[in-house]
Amino acid sequence: MLTLWNLFEASLLCLNAVCVLHEERFMQKMGWGANNRNQGFEDQSSMKYQVLNLVRSIRTVTRIPLIILNILTIIFKLLLG
Amino acid sequence: MNFNASRNVGQASGPRKAKRVSDVSVMGAPSPVQAFTPPGTFEQGYAQAGPPPPYQQGIQLDPNQDFGSPAPAHLLLDFGYMPGYPQTMPTPANIGSMIQQPIIQDMAMQYGNQLAAQGREAVSRELGRFVPVSRLRYYFAVDTRYVLRKLILIIFPYTHKEWMVKYDQESPVQPRYDVNAPDLYIPSMGYVTYVLLAGFMLGIQHRFSPEQISIQASSALAYIIFEMVLYLMTLYITNTTTALKTLDLLAFSGYKYTTMIASLLAALLLGSMGYYCSLIYCSLALSFFLVKTLRLQLLAGSQGPEQPAYGGYPSNYGNPNPYTDNWAKPSSSGTKRRVYFLLFVAITQPLLSWWLTYHLVPSAPSISPAR
Repeated sequence: MLTLWNLFEASLLCLNAVCVLHEERFMQKMGWGANNRNQGFEDQSSMKYQVLNLVRSIRTVTRIPLIILNILTIIFKLLLG
Repeated sequence: MNFNASRNVGQASGPRKAKRVSDVSVMGAPSPVQAFTPPGTFEQGYAQAGPPPPYQQGIQLDPNQDFGSPAPAHLLLDFGYMPGYPQTMPTPANIGSMIQQPIIQDMAMQYGNQLAAQGREAVSRELGRFVPVSRLRYYFAVDTRYVLRKLILIIFPYTHKEWMVKYDQESPVQPRYDVNAPDLYIPSMGYVTYVLLAGFMLGIQHRFSPEQISIQASSALAYIIFEMVLYLMTLYITNTTTALKTLDLLAFSGYKYTTMIASLLAALLLGSMGYYCSLIYCSLALSFFLVKTLRLQLLAGSQGPEQPAYGGYPSNYGNPNPYTDNWAKPSSSGTKRRVYFLLFVAITQPLLSWWLTYHLVPSAPSISPAR
């Protein structure tokens, strides 16, 4: 049953997954690098560009709060099981 | 709030010189009586910007001022039985009798009112930053006739002819005046009714406990959030530009509660056969309703509102439109994406309404009419 707590946990795990994608070791190998691609202005409406943009923005915004949220969730789960 | 209204009240309690604001803040308000400066003078809000009104001269922080010295002219809070300075702090016995004075009660009430007003203003300001309150008010501007017609429309949309929302100078008309406008009243009432009905159905099957209510409520809320996130992500990733706002999407996805409630009621009366029949019928009706309503809003794209073509929507696209100076012809791929998104919405709504109700259905008719 999808409760609010399950939703929170699932979204936390998904955000973690998005944030651990390493820029140098992985993204650039797959051609999804954020810097060295040919970012012509005609490219900006493709879905791949949108997804990669989303990944990069999520990474930038949620890097620090995610640390805090993870620590809180770990403590919470340790204490309450 | 950094403005300490009770700074400078240390006069009567001995030679405490206030040299800095921080000193006084640390000292605090020693006596409750003298803290009640008349709040009518504080019209400037939090930070005292202007010059203090005349009879607040006692509030000025003068480093050279000796607070231990008698200064009756500075304070108008002269209660008659504090004839002159220096006077020790009122003893606890005195405080009781002082508080009984009606003038103190009036001032206390005024001060409390002022604090409450400031607090309310602060809360509404902060809230206004996160939740667009004025937009929300639009969605709740409904009346009984609208709710009735809208519910009938959701269950039986096949005879409705005009699906275009009337506009009133660039902004959509309130739901009260147009049955096609989205509202948030029906979804929120539907949500509450669904939670209560779910509790009732669990109770009939002897599966109820008070925690179930909260589990059902939070589960439905989680599904709402998940669904909204899914739709918004789809719209963002496919780069679809529509005239659909987030709250509109929330309103339209909340209309499935009507479907769910109708199906649950049918399940109560007719058992699982009634549940499935009602679910299929109401899902078809809801999909029809959503397709007709959202088609106009999605496919209009980023163009502004224009004269509605009441001859039906085939005249919106295909024929050269007399109002084409406002018409931004949507690109063909954009239109295709919008159509797919529309189909996506129309399919997930019945699926979700089934998913949220099937575990509540009793296997046999619980309330049989021929007992």
